[in-house]
Amino acid sequence: MRPFTYTQPETIEEALTASVTNTDSKYLGGGTNLVDLMKEDVERPSQIIEVADLDFNTITSNETGGITLGAMLSNSETANHPDIRKNYPLLSMAMLSAATAQIRNMATNGGNLLQRTRCPYFFEVSMPCNKREPGSGCGALEGANSKHAIFGWSESCVATHPSDMCVALAALEATVTLQKPGGTSRTIEFTDFHRLPGDQPEKDNTILPGEIITAIDLPNPKFQTNYHYLKIRERSSYAFALISVAAGLQISGGKITNIGLAMGGVAHKPWKLIKAEAFLTGKMPTKANFEQAAELALKGAKTLSENEYKVIMGIKAIVRALEQALAKTA
Amino acid sequence: MNTDISIGTGNPIDRVEGRLKVMGLAKYASEFNVKNLAYAQGINSTIAKGTITAIDTSEAEKQKGVIKVLTYKNADKLKQYDEELPAISTSSIQPVLQSADVYYYGEYVGLVIAETFEQAQYAASLVKYTYSEEKPDIDFDSSRAKAYRPTEKSDYSRGDVSQGLAEADVTLEQIYNTPIEHHHPMELHAIIASWNNGNVEAYASQQIIDDATLTIADTFQIEKKNVRVIAPFVGGGFGSKLHAKQHVILGVMASKQIGRPVQMTVTRNQMFTNTNLRQRNEQKMQVGAKSDGSLTALSHDTLSHTSTYEEFQESCGTVTKMLYKTPNNKVTHRLMPMNLQTPFAMRAPGEATGSFALESAMDEMAWKLKMDPVDFRVKNDTQVDPSSDKPFSSRLLNECLKIGAKEFGWEERPQKPGTKEEGNWLVGYGVSGASRRAPYQKTSAKIILELKDSEVFATIQMDATDIGTGSYTIIAQTASEYLNIPVAQVDVELGDSDFPKTPGSGGSWGAASFSNGARAACENAIASLEEKSGLKLADAGLAKLMRSGNLNSFEAEGTAEPDEEFKKHSVFSFGANFTEVWVDKDTGVFRIKRMLNVASCGKILNPKTAFGQIIGGCVMGAGMVIAEQTKVEPNYGNFITRSFADYHVPVNLDMANIDVIFLPEEDKIANKMGIKGVGELGITSVAASIANAIFNATGKRMRDLPITPEKLILAEKEPGVA
Ligand SMILES: Cc1cc2nc3c(=O)[nH]c(=O)nc-3n(C[C@H](O)[C@H](O)[C@H](O)COP(=O)(O)OP(=O)(O)OC[C@H]3O[C@@H](n4cnc5c(N)ncnc54)[C@H](O)[C@@H]3O)c2cc1C
Ligand code: SF4
Repeated sequence: MRPFTYTQPETIEEALTASVTNTDSKYLGGGTNLVDLMKEDVERPSQIIEVADLDFNTITSNETGGITLGAMLSNSETANHPDIRKNYPLLSMAMLSAATAQIRNMATNGGNLLQRTRCPYFFEVSMPCNKREPGSGCGALEGANSKHAIFGWSESCVATHPSDMCVALAALEATVTLQKPGGTSRTIEFTDFHRLPGDQPEKDNTILPGEIITAIDLPNPKFQTNYHYLKIRERSSYAFALISVAAGLQISGGKITNIGLAMGGVAHKPWKLIKAEAFLTGKMPTKANFEQAAELALKGAKTLSENEYKVIMGIKAIVRALEQALAKTA
Repeated sequence: MNTDISIGTGNPIDRVEGRLKVMGLAKYASEFNVKNLAYAQGINSTIAKGTITAIDTSEAEKQKGVIKVLTYKNADKLKQYDEELPAISTSSIQPVLQSADVYYYGEYVGLVIAETFEQAQYAASLVKYTYSEEKPDIDFDSSRAKAYRPTEKSDYSRGDVSQGLAEADVTLEQIYNTPIEHHHPMELHAIIASWNNGNVEAYASQQIIDDATLTIADTFQIEKKNVRVIAPFVGGGFGSKLHAKQHVILGVMASKQIGRPVQMTVTRNQMFTNTNLRQRNEQKMQVGAKSDGSLTALSHDTLSHTSTYEEFQESCGTVTKMLYKTPNNKVTHRLMPMNLQTPFAMRAPGEATGSFALESAMDEMAWKLKMDPVDFRVKNDTQVDPSSDKPFSSRLLNECLKIGAKEFGWEERPQKPGTKEEGNWLVGYGVSGASRRAPYQKTSAKIILELKDSEVFATIQMDATDIGTGSYTIIAQTASEYLNIPVAQVDVELGDSDFPKTPGSGGSWGAASFSNGARAACENAIASLEEKSGLKLADAGLAKLMRSGNLNSFEAEGTAEPDEEFKKHSVFSFGANFTEVWVDKDTGVFRIKRMLNVASCGKILNPKTAFGQIIGGCVMGAGMVIAEQTKVEPNYGNFITRSFADYHVPVNLDMANIDVIFLPEEDKIANKMGIKGVGELGITSVAASIANAIFNATGKRMRDLPITPEKLILAEKEPGVA
């Protein structure tokens, strides 16, 4: 690992200032992703600014009747918080499907949003990778790409975003609050937070240099009864999703009145299934409708040499997730 | 260190070294406090084939703490192979850093020695290599034309397979694939080496101490007596530590060059590239049988790869030669030199992979014959090893199958695939027969007896290793039995080349060899003491024997080795595995619900440690099916599975209840104590058993391991399944 300096600011202002003074800095949350990548020589910050101990580590009600998740709160504390379990069980379920208990204890909510792709070319510095080294080429495009994207990719990058938490946040229509050096903060829609690779795959998201994530806001409690997070993976735990689906349904009078549907493992960002959501809204929650919605959702998927299976797996996963959500009772 | 007051073998006692381990007092190779220690970090090539044209070490050398950078330019000249593709064994030489040539991705091309591990690691990343790159042979399919027969012994045949197939009422021809896998013992490979005027002392994580000393001595061309290797505790090996790998040579070389002891630890990432692998095997099976189920032909052709500089052949066809009765039998092995690391033995080499092919094919045949797969196997039993015409020393395969079927509730198995449901799951049962050679080898031991206050305390010394299997415990139990003193009064000292020679741990020969060696030493001691005292141990007890001989201490040595009876027989352990799986109807996911392993492996010295071995084998076998595979990048030849985040071994949640039944047995032909091996038998039957259960659940025949959700979701039902 390269030598680096380490600072532990007391306040967010100090942290922001430290990042302005040394633009080669990285904020440190739980370090479960950053430190791994530093060991692999992929991330090479000359300064580490610890933010995990800053004050943004609570869960509070917000003005809109929803809830604010502190960005520095651990994934475990968030997922197991009674308010989250009761009011946003879809988020809890998705978060608890990720990694291991030990990693979730360390991982922070902010860090989870910013974790980087698991593409093996990205991790191996001797390989070409536009995301790690712009202009070096995309090793996966014509290489080993069975775990790569089927939506929204570009010739320059076919990577997927690995987070489970983010798939649920997309389905729940969360927002992200960021604070910039100078003290101003801004809030953006969750679906606008991550981006597609285009010709700038080095940018995973729309965060600006030096910005700190301070909070994630959830709207009114949602899908408290009919929800499911389905994660298909290569072993029963401690593996990233090949495909995942976050599904939330609100049913009234035998019809779907509100729906949240998003997929993981298929794109450079959590993939909100807007067409399928629109199709199902107002319809009866039948298997036939679920199947039609799933077909619609996977329409337009563009597969790579090794990942054709994701289309059929995606369809089955959407139908199953919706069925499981429907089957749940209060 | 030991508090167990029971006497003798057969008791399920706790590990005698268990306390040391949980207290962190059991020292592994890299943990010894050696004064003035320096640290070495290997540098890996970033191409799969070519030549180094330039090396820039200047940046690395400037770094704080860096003592030396070694490359092929300033490395010691080592003994070279004198053949082009030498067949490697557990004691082969290990030339490293001897030329500018690169044969595979990740090969060691340099070494940084520094004051601290961190300094060495950082400096290693700063050494710059320029290569002239050539197109590597990394594609299995396009290497086929290079396939060759390693030796005459790679082929075997009896009768005439084509005639056997022609006479058959039912035939099968299928190909079964197993991927590259890695051993990944928990303890990383490591060495602390000290070179002193041509003498080497090394703490090294090795399974076979004597072979490690040979590899070091031969590679540096020094005398074996000048090399001492010490390994009191080894944190697993699975075959990867049978042979001293290149880091052992690099550690010794580094110490020689800087005149200080050097520690070298292989990182987890380097465990993929620098400690060998289990190669990919493509196995073609041809089977013929009469409609009554009697086999008329069995043929097994294996295609695998070796490196372009060494040869290793895993004998996948061994099982097919000996497990079932058939007049016509053919086994072949072919290798393709490829730009990948040399493969080497991994837990049950040959049997683990070979029995996946054979036992899957047997299941396919049973289905075609409309026979129960248990009955089909029972029908083709043989008490004589058809490949050598020697009788088996003991063979309880049919008993394993029948008792297993009864205990498992085999009659609940759905007769037709895909017909038993539980909600969204399809339920299936699978069976597989298991076998593994039980080789027992020449072993010596020393015993030191001391009389203290009318109690005798014994110390047994041998260069055997305990790789987590329980060697310390069973040796203590054996000595306790023959001396008739409590286990607590026996101390066992292992893992030092100064102690009497043993074959080390591996190949399922450890328990039988070590115990019989210890027995021989005890018997010699007792015989001398009985003679000196004129008393009998059985009447007087050990303390009286020593007292009447006026002895406060006494030493003896003993050696045990296979006798004529052993050589006249074919000696194998046998077993059967039963598995219930639940397969999701849609998502490609399956779960192992329960597993029963019935094992017939001679006398069980300690049911607790033996149980651990079988369970460990089952988990490792399940790993072969669930997700374990090392994937080669198709354009560059590096491994894309490069850490435990991508190389998926089973997690607790993957493993169901595993039950083990040991059939009561003592095989006195195998050796005097009646012991056979348990270390590898467990893994051999599991993969086929799970795959066969998946067929029973779904009607899908999965012939390529691992059976990932991706493969399962794309698979079609077998023709003929409703
Ligand atoms: C073996 C393994 C398996 C895993 N499996 C899964 C899985 O199945 N599913 C899943 O979803 N995840 C999985 N994870 C990923 C894990 O969830 C992430 O590593 C974790 O959420 C990252 O959080 P962290 O706080 O540790 O981030 P860090 O590693 O500390 O930081 C990650 C990035 O975020 C930046 N950062 C951190 N906090 C802030 C902030 N507040 N503001 C601005 N920037 C910030 C850092 O500078 C860094 O660039 C796995 C991880 C590992 C190692
Ligand atoms: S897919 Fe993206 S991350 Fe992977 S190699 Fe291509 S550019 Fe790099």
